[in-house]
Amino acid sequence: MFEKVSDPKDVILVEGQIPIRHRYTPGVAGEAFFTALRDRGRFVASRCDSCAVTYCPPRLFCERCFDGPLEADVEVGPEGTVESFSVGYTGLEGEPLDEPVTVALVRLDGADTVLVHFLVDSDHLMIGQKVRPAFLPKGKRTGSILDLRGFTPAE
Amino acid sequence: MTARRGKKRGTGNLRSVDVPAPPTSFLGPRPLRDAEFRQAVGAVDFAVEARYAWDAGVAVGEYLRGLKRGVILGRECRGCRRILVPPRMFCEECFRPTDRWVEAEDTGTVNTFSICYIRWDMVPLKEPEIPFVLDIDGASPGMGFMHKLGEVRPDDVRIGLEVEAVWKPEEEREGSILDIRYFRPRDASARKGARRASVRKKTSASRRKTSVGGA
Repeated sequence: MFEKVSDPKDVILVEGQIPIRHRYTPGVAGEAFFTALRDRGRFVASRCDSCAVTYCPPRLFCERCFDGPLEADVEVGPEGTVESFSVGYTGLEGEPLDEPVTVALVRLDGADTVLVHFLVDSDHLMIGQKVRPAFLPKGKRTGSILDLRGFTPAE
Repeated sequence: MTARRGKKRGTGNLRSVDVPAPPTSFLGPRPLRDAEFRQAVGAVDFAVEARYAWDAGVAVGEYLRGLKRGVILGRECRGCRRILVPPRMFCEECFRPTDRWVEAEDTGTVNTFSICYIRWDMVPLKEPEIPFVLDIDGASPGMGFMHKLGEVRPDDVRIGLEVEAVWKPEEEREGSILDIRYFRPRDASARKGARRASVRKKTSASRRKTSVGGA
């Protein structure tokens, strides 16, 4: 017969924490995107002419034909279209949120790919809705995707 | 470009298939420099919260309680007549539960060892740490655990060296493998403190120089 632990107080737990830190750098095309966002409040994209696809956020390489390096030199938006959205009632850790958040896929005008961001100040959600960006004031932008508060209805 | 070359060669059925090849080398302007890494626009810093609680289980739980009392516990299997240290409740050779608790000695021999001049997180160490695998006395051959050696100069460590546990005082023990501070040579004359301080200093300094040059 196996011995068993029958009293929970007899359980020996060894607790620890594994230190894992990382820094993600967005790369050549990503930096061009965030610099334009921060300094000019504009969206830049990269275009693959052979595939006729405009990527926003920009990619350094075309993911269809591997052509590259592409230049992040095309300006798209700032308005766009909601391609899809999702309403979230819990945070990353599963905690309930006081206010639900809406995360949307927004295809900026002139781009063929979508950007993931929040929909803000919007009561009526609809796929196909025209939206425009809501930026933080220029002095508060740091070169983060959160320099953009999200997208809000264009009308 | 690669695809075009493939077409020209003509490889049977693959002749008409224009398969693009992924880039095989770094095609960006140049690799990222340290300053660029630190100042990259749009960089995201993140620390994963990786906390864990590991349940030691019946066998290792008892083993840890034993360490608090100052004994090293093992389990005997009557099927293969082995004494298992650290203990397990199930014999992996006989596929049957093990039978009884036994106390091993707190002495043994060095099975293998390593001399480490850096810590686990790559911080350089002035005084090296010497982790080793112990063959413990009172258990079957090859039984034992990893620990570290102390009171010994790195050059004096040998496979087969007889060692003994240096325990923490009883009131400081908490049911951890670190209740044993380290193992030291049983032969007092082989210990680091056995030599005259001035001689030791000199030799250890010259040795350090050699090991740096040789590394």
